[in-house]
Amino acid sequence: MTVKESQFIEISMDSGKEMHLTRYYIFSPFLRIFHWLMVVSIIVLFASGIVIMTPMSMGEGQYVVLNNWHLSVDWIRNLHFVAGFVLTASFLFRIYGYIINKGDRLLPNIFRMKFWDDLVEVMMHYCLLKYSHKQFLRNPMARMSYVAIYGLIVVEMLTGFAMYFQVNPNGVGSFLFGWLVIPYGEMFLHVVHHIVAWCIFLFAAIHVYMVVRADFMEREGEISSMISGTKVLAHLPDDINDIRDKRGRIIKG
Amino acid sequence: MEGYDSIWDMYKKKGISRRSFIKTCTAMTALLGLAPAMLPEVVKAAEKRLPVVIWLHGHECTGCSEAFLRSGAPLTSDVVLNMIALEYDDTLGAASGEPFENHLQEIMKTYKGQYILAVEGAAPPDPKGGFCMVGGRSFVEEVKEAAAGAAAIIAYGSCAAWGGIQAARPNPTQAVSLNEIIDNKHIVNVPGCPPIPEVMTGVIAHYAMFGNLPPLDNRNCPKQFFGNRIHDTCYRRPFFDAGMFANDFNDAGARAGWCLYKLGCRGPETYASCGNMRWWNGLSYPIQSGHGCIGCTSKNFWDNDPFYTRLPEVAGLGLGNIDKIGAVATGALAVGITAHLATSAVQKRRRDQKELEDEKKAAEEAERMSRGKD
Ligand code: SF4
Ligand code: SF4
Repeated sequence: MTVKESQFIEISMDSGKEMHLTRYYIFSPFLRIFHWLMVVSIIVLFASGIVIMTPMSMGEGQYVVLNNWHLSVDWIRNLHFVAGFVLTASFLFRIYGYIINKGDRLLPNIFRMKFWDDLVEVMMHYCLLKYSHKQFLRNPMARMSYVAIYGLIVVEMLTGFAMYFQVNPNGVGSFLFGWLVIPYGEMFLHVVHHIVAWCIFLFAAIHVYMVVRADFMEREGEISSMISGTKVLAHLPDDINDIRDKRGRIIKG
Repeated sequence: MEGYDSIWDMYKKKGISRRSFIKTCTAMTALLGLAPAMLPEVVKAAEKRLPVVIWLHGHECTGCSEAFLRSGAPLTSDVVLNMIALEYDDTLGAASGEPFENHLQEIMKTYKGQYILAVEGAAPPDPKGGFCMVGGRSFVEEVKEAAAGAAAIIAYGSCAAWGGIQAARPNPTQAVSLNEIIDNKHIVNVPGCPPIPEVMTGVIAHYAMFGNLPPLDNRNCPKQFFGNRIHDTCYRRPFFDAGMFANDFNDAGARAGWCLYKLGCRGPETYASCGNMRWWNGLSYPIQSGHGCIGCTSKNFWDNDPFYTRLPEVAGLGLGNIDKIGAVATGALAVGITAHLATSAVQKRRRDQKELEDEKKAAEEAERMSRGKD
């Protein structure tokens, strides 16, 4: 949606200063829906994965009370598989969003020297060596880390499906993913699946912290951006060109 | 030993009837997992010449031969004496020394391109390393030479197929599997430590019968024997699904025969026939005897230790398995985040205060200036 200059919002800050804030429309519904489906499925996947690895015993003298919950390993495994398929489907959905909306394409510009300079600046900020950094729609460090998380999720999908479909080593699924079992054996996939799961979990923890922190320290509507798709910025962000359309217009919300 | 041209030839020479010959063929058809309609093919195959087999031993414990000797159906004696012409096997051979080695050379020359090469054991790849010498020659050279003229190669046991215990950390001899030293040849992998006897004889019987190798999966293992996970064929699987586990080898669960997953069973990632064919003519198999599968048909299974925990430990760290390390990392992260949050809050406070002071100072300055003007 394009809006006229006059429609820009003006808000007074508590310090009494007048500031000119602009709302930029960045994330398409594809990305936002993906994000929240991913949140749910990753929570389910991580929790069920941990339980699958160390299942609760229903046996004699053990957690008998759980019997009434019917949390059989079979049930939990199925839950894990369903969540895995949901995550995969939403990831494909997000890829579609990537194709149709520029704001969903805020990936690192690794071929530009400026990107690396900015990255250093932002990292200095997060190492508490620099009080503030330039404003970005999405800062270089975030860009890098989102590529990393997508990479980790892809690894989880590949290793997960490889193990899942090996139930029938002659089937289509294992034709597509079974080659992963060959180089180091299947146990290796379990190990990788676990290491990466923990990486995603730690990533999520850091991510939540950073978002909340950014929301409080920079007040750019970081948290709400994943619901509304927009961010409110006081200055023209440094990477604004990434969301200009063909005619050079900026999409505002 | 009297030579026979084919199985049928042997039956004739021994004066056994055609009827019992057909009976044997019927049994063989069932054993190879073929449809009854395939019987005529089997009969035809049994009338063909016996295939020549050369059996070499490398870096190994000879456990595979021990298993092979105990095959019940087909009986090993049947296989060795009647189904194949086993011309060289340095552990089973009555002959030894130079004459036997010369015999090997002769056989390789006479049956060039026709014999089956069965190999047991891994190979240290450096011929000058001094490891695994057979008759004064390095095993690598010997096996390469034999492979060059082979019609088919069967890698028996996990050592020949994947490197096995020799190739486990730290692998002092740099031992490798057969397919890493032999190129341009199809190798049938029959892994296991050892493989099930009937699987060993079954693969070679298939070749003896049909003159070709059985259908292979993507790891070059015969599909009919390695097509199922132990976990998917395990009779304890219902206990797994229900969540009934033995937590200790001495507890009630272990006595009741519940799933051994928590005691490190590798069934969920191991492909073998233990669950359906079982061992010693279907008598039992490790899980049935109360011990988890150790994944002996899998690549690198020795390195996935310890065998009695569900997840292997991360090698070299001494910190336990990944879930433990992950939990520790989460704790460390929580501390880190708290510290970072506190520091940034302090930083922000100071900064804001300074800003406020600066503003105040500027205001005072302005006031003073304006007063000065008056
Ligand atoms: S005993 Fe092992 S193979 Fe059998 S169900 Fe349990 S984990 Fe699977
Ligand atoms: S149960 Fe597992 S470890 Fe035991 S023989 Fe079978 S494949 Fe090997």
